[in-house]
Parts: sequence; C-alpha cells; structure tokens
Amino acid sequence: MSDRLDDLERRIDELRAGVRKAMRVRDGATARVLRAELRSAERAWDALVSGRPPQAKEEPQPQKAALVTVREQVHQGLRLLGAAAQPRLIVAVSDAFFGGTIRSSQLTSLRRDEERSFRSSPFGRPYYLCAALTDRLSPARGLLTLSTWPLERRVVGPLSPRVDFLTCAIATATAIEERDSDDERALRLLVRMARNIPGATDGTLGPPDPGRVAAAARAELLVHAERDTRDRAELAERATAQLGDAARLFGAATLSTIKKENAK
Amino acid sequence: MSGLKREGDHVHRLDALRGTTPQQPHDARAIAALAANPGCARRALMDGAGIDKDAAARHLGFPAPFGQSPFAITRGNMFEALVKADGCAELLRMLREVLGLPVAEVSYHDVENVGAHLRHAHTKALFDRAAREGHDAGTLYDHPLLSLRIAGHTAYLEPDVVAFQLGGRFHIVEIKSFAVIDGQADPAAVAAAARQAAVYVLALRNLLEELGHDPLKVSHDVVLVCPENFANRPVATLVDVRKQLAVLRRQLARMTTLDRLLEGLPDDLSFDLLPDEDGRPTRPVAELADALHRTTARYAPDCLSTCDLCFFCRDEARQEGASDLLGRQVRDELGGVASVAEALGLADGSRDPAEGQEEIARLLRNAERLRRECLN
Repeated sequence: MSDRLDDLERRIDELRAGVRKAMRVRDGATARVLRAELRSAERAWDALVSGRPPQAKEEPQPQKAALVTVREQVHQGLRLLGAAAQPRLIVAVSDAFFGGTIRSSQLTSLRRDEERSFRSSPFGRPYYLCAALTDRLSPARGLLTLSTWPLERRVVGPLSPRVDFLTCAIATATAIEERDSDDERALRLLVRMARNIPGATDGTLGPPDPGRVAAAARAELLVHAERDTRDRAELAERATAQLGDAARLFGAATLSTIKKENAK
Repeated sequence: MSGLKREGDHVHRLDALRGTTPQQPHDARAIAALAANPGCARRALMDGAGIDKDAAARHLGFPAPFGQSPFAITRGNMFEALVKADGCAELLRMLREVLGLPVAEVSYHDVENVGAHLRHAHTKALFDRAAREGHDAGTLYDHPLLSLRIAGHTAYLEPDVVAFQLGGRFHIVEIKSFAVIDGQADPAAVAAAARQAAVYVLALRNLLEELGHDPLKVSHDVVLVCPENFANRPVATLVDVRKQLAVLRRQLARMTTLDRLLEGLPDDLSFDLLPDEDGRPTRPVAELADALHRTTARYAPDCLSTCDLCFFCRDEARQEGASDLLGRQVRDELGGVASVAEALGLADGSRDPAEGQEEIARLLRNAERLRRECLN
C-alpha cells in the first residue's frame, strides 16, 4: 500500500508542476484537464490513507479523455450521431459514450478555427468540423457537421431539424443497445429524447427501452423522409453549383448569396 | 392601421417635446406596459414622443429599480434555448399535446438566416406565403421580426416563435422562464406575459391585414411555455388574450389622439434632455422636473413594476400626500378625497366634509372610531 501511496504522491507532484507550467504559458484547456487529474489523484490518495476504497467511477475517465483533443471528441460525437447537431447534444453524447470532458463553451470557436486552418492549407486534414448550410447556403446557427459527410446530409431544409433530431435519437438508442450500456448519463440522454418522440415511452417513469425509442423514431421519420430528402437534394445541388470549396464547407456569407441570386 | 395615422403637426409637436434627445424605440415590453396604466397622461405623452424615460428618470435622480437583472436574462435565454433545442423538439411535443398538431407538421424556418437587415421583409414574405398556400407552408417560424406603428413611429418586435398550421391559424408562442407550480403561476407574471403576447398578436394581425389576408387568421389564444414545477421541463398552456388586445387597441388609438392632451400643454414645454456629444444629459434637473410636473401623472403602486419614471411620480405623490400612493383600490374607495391629510381630517372630525363628501366622511369617522376602540 505504501508503494501505491508513493506512486500517487509522485504523480501529484508531477501534476502540480504540470498545472503550474500550463498556467505560465496561459494554456487554460490543458491546465483544466491536469487539474481534474490532480483532484482525482488527490482523492485516490485520501481514500488510500483513510483505508476507504476509492469510488470506482471517478478515476479512469479523465485520464482516458485527456489523450483526446476537443476536436477529436466532437468528431467522435458527430460520427456516432450521424447528423448535424447542436453543441449541447454533442457534449451530452461525448459525455455519455466516450467519457468526454468537453463543454459547450469550448465548441464556440471551433468552427472558426477549422475554417482558418482550411483556408491556410485546404484539405490538409483528414476531416474538418464544419457548418450546416441553410436554404440561403449560409452557415446555420449553432449546428456542427463533418466534412466527410455527403452534402445532402449537411444542408438544412425546413424539415431537416426534426429529421436530424430523429436520426440522432435512433443513433443514440442503437448505441446504447449495442454497448448494452447502463450508464446513467446515456440513459438520461435517451429519456430526454424519448419524451419528445410520440410512442417512444410506455408512460412509466423508468428508463425507456432503446429498441422501442428507435422504432418510434423510425416511424416518425418515415412521415418526413420523402419531402426532406427532396428538399435536401435540391439544396445540395444548388450548393454544389454555386459555392467554392471553402464556402461549401463553412457556408457563404449571407449578403453575397443574396447578391448572387439577384444577379441571376 | 389607418385609424392610427395622425396629422403631421402633432408629430411635430411631439418631436418638439422630445427635442434633441434621440428617440427611444419601443419594444414589446414597453408597449405592453402602456396598457397597464391607461389613465396616465404623463406616460402617454412621453411614450407618444418616444422619450427615453429611463434616461430622464436617471437624470432626475430617480433611477428605476428595474430593467431586467442579468441573471433573469441569462435564465430566460437558457430556458428558451432548451425549448428550441434539437429542432424545437420540446416545443413540438407540447404543441402536439396541447393543440393536437399533426405529426407531419414539423417544418421549421429560421427567419434570421437571411441576416438582420432583411429579417422584416423575409418575415413578411414567409407569412404571406403561409397565409396564401395554407397547409403546405411552414409550421414553426423562429426569430420573426414584426412591426407596429406607435404614434407615428415604427416599433420592431420580436416574438419568440410563431406557429402556424394549428387549424390554419397562426399562434404566437411566448416562452417565459417563470415556473408553473402545480398548475399555478404568479398571476402578475402571467398577466405581463399575456399583455406582451397581445402586442405580438396585434402586430401580426396588422401585418396580415396589410398583405390582404384575414387578420383573424391570427389566433387570440397564445401558447405560453413555462418551466413546470421545480424542474426545467417546459409545459405549454393556452392563454386567451382578447381582453389585453382590447385594452391595447384602445390605448394605441388613444396615443394617436394625443391632440387633446397636447392642446392643454403650454407651447414652450419640452422634455428635452439636451444631451451633449457623449449623450450625457445637460439640462438642469430642476427645469426638467418642473416641465414634468406640468403634466398630470396618475401614480399607482403598480407603476413600480412597469414604468421607468415610477420613483419620480411616487415622490411627487408623496409630497402632495395624494391618496394614489395607497393603491388603486383605496383611491377608488376614497373617491372625491384627493389627499391623505384630507382623509385623516375627515376621519377625526377636524375637517368638515365638503359637498358630496358626506358619505365617505361618515365611513371614515366610523373607521376611526373602530380603530380607537380596538387600540384602547
């Protein structure tokens, strides 16, 4: 036991030095991650000294997540959801399935950073986190998508917000089923989604059955699918015809789109 | 809106009242507050002239206690974001439950997509299409921008959401962050929300009328969305705003007939703050206060939650010892007795009732006798 204590003390010292270093270079994100680790190490040390078993849940997550950047965590979340999503939802999914450490506020500047990186060296990265495109081909507010998706999936027609929500609900339900997850956060996310899909809950207060949620969402999706696919195809066609590479990923400025349409 | 148009010289007179101070645009909250105290000439004049009452009150040394707290604003925005999250998922659920919205109706238009400067025109175009094409048009319109003519000036209004396709009618959706606990909400908050929603209903009806559609396509039932009980879960209720609409219409019509009020005013009267280059008011405080005292106010304690000038008027009412201070109910019961000193004088018999005051004097004396008996 004293070996472990020694290890922990060494680790705590290292982390403290790391936090100090990160603060000196004003790297807030790293400092926050290191602090979180530091706290969990200190808790483990407390638990060991007082002879109580450490709380199993808290320890492993932050360390695993620290290896993954914010960008990568958002990518993971979006890949699971498979549709344009708001930062809140991405954070919830990342938290529920990947032990993520991101917060919504960290996602605000992400799209701008990605755009800057793309403009300085186009297609230099395997994927970009980019905007969803509105019917004006401008970036939709507060929606993130992946550059690897086909354009049809990245545009937003009138029905698309609902369709995307249902797609996300199906993806979440399927992910829970596949992983056989009984993680509290994943179930809470599912409950929140199921509440807003007709027929997804059986009226009881307990966690809904993922299979049932997915089936209900698919049923509603069928109602909207045809019109939405048509709207999206049309928008995607327009985007391909009118926009350059950068604008296709990050959206056209509103005014220029209007000018272009007026000029036609 | 043809009934609300006025002749040019009154506009000039109102502009003269405002002087060089920049005009304060009206928002829904301000317009709704108009309906709260329709009898106040001071407020009617200042609002009619578009005077920044907050700046005036501040300059007079009676800054108003309100303006929303930043915490309330953050809370309101958070709750609104929650209701609108994931393609308005929560809102759709509530509309389906409360109004029986068909499952197929989920289309969502964000009017803001066109950029701020075109929002009003785009709102018009979208609503025109919706009213014309009926069932194939959109269902939810987010961030619309409506306009309303207030005493010759245009005020721009932003309802939270406008929903269409509930029986072919438009419904205003108002999202508020006060809680509905066990089916009950704070009546004052609900009343304020209803007044505000009535402003939107009126603006939307005017818009449809301008476009040549039936204004009654806008329902007088507004959908009020609030958090339920102690959780953050939103719940929707239908609120009938017909009464508020009637009051508002009357008040707006009255604002356009400010002529009568203006006629009674001396020609040199002005509420100008004479702002310098930085917008700081330079007009002597006493002079401005004097100008304000020449218009009659109708102070009631409710003003404290709706009018920027409330502290100024309260101070005035206190100095005059007016019975207004004690609230509308007391004032009405003390009909014909203008000041507190007069009422006390009548009660202890040190003052003889004037003609027509006999009845209230008898009541006051009785009350005073009862009070003395209780105290002894």
